[in-house]
Amino acid sequence: MGWKSHGWRQARDDKAFVLGQYGAIGLTFLMLGCALEDYGVYWPLFVLIFHAISPIPHFIAKRVTYDSDATSSACRELAYFFTTGIVVSAFGFPVILARVAVIKWGACGLVLAGNAVIFLTIQGFFLVFGREDDFGWDRW
Amino acid sequence: MSGFLEGLRCSECVDWGEKRNTIASIAAGVLFFTGWWIIIDAAVIYPTMEDFNHSYHACGVIATIAFLMINAVSNGQVRGDSYSEGCLGQTGARIWLFIGFMLAFGSLIASMWILFGGYVAKEKAIVYPGIAVFFQNAFIFFGELREEDLWANFMSSSERQKYK
Repeated sequence: MGWKSHGWRQARDDKAFVLGQYGAIGLTFLMLGCALEDYGVYWPLFVLIFHAISPIPHFIAKRVTYDSDATSSACRELAYFFTTGIVVSAFGFPVILARVAVIKWGACGLVLAGNAVIFLTIQGFFLVFGREDDFGWDRW
Repeated sequence: MSGFLEGLRCSECVDWGEKRNTIASIAAGVLFFTGWWIIIDAAVIYPTMEDFNHSYHACGVIATIAFLMINAVSNGQVRGDSYSEGCLGQTGARIWLFIGFMLAFGSLIASMWILFGGYVAKEKAIVYPGIAVFFQNAFIFFGELREEDLWANFMSSSERQKYK
């Protein structure tokens, strides 16, 4: 596709576009799991809370250890621990809803697929945009 | 003969360096939260007290407190060679770790007791809550065993020489 003919910024915008597409696919799975006529139950939308809070431990750890050297990894490990917990919770919540027959197993499968795609998209965002050295807060 | 176990030590794990800590903390997170979601599942499916006596949740709560206690102490504080002494010093860190391990083993044994005494021995029709309590505590316990170094540092340094 000729990444080199564009500038580096253009290449990153292209990657952001592709990641956005994947994110939309993931959200589509989630909405299908809720809104199809067979299902029609909207409780699985609560996993969006888990999606929204999953990057937060990483940002807190980055902010707290910004001034110190790179060897302070205890904070980073704690962030990985909580992020993993949030991801596990986002997968466990639809399964429990399906086991109590609040939602059907088909809806549960769609929500789990949407979860997987959305978490991979979030991870992709971190890989694409986390590589720059000057991670400053003024970019926000 | 006494040294044949030396080769079985996980010596190549140390070469991962930074990755090992990351993978260990991710694995601990997966195990810990999977344990809690198992017990949430059992509590949601069996809300009555006769199927699942909800005071059995105390076992998992103590296991969580033990998990937090054990993971709050770093290797350096127990060995005594970290820069900051912490609130309690090296001896205090060892006592803290000791109490943490006691609570961890206690809750693991209590979960087995609950499973066998409360469900298997009474031949209850619904055994799943007992199994869920046991697996919750087992998962939390295995999430605590992040580093074999922590065990080695719990002993004194002179004893550790025998295992080198």
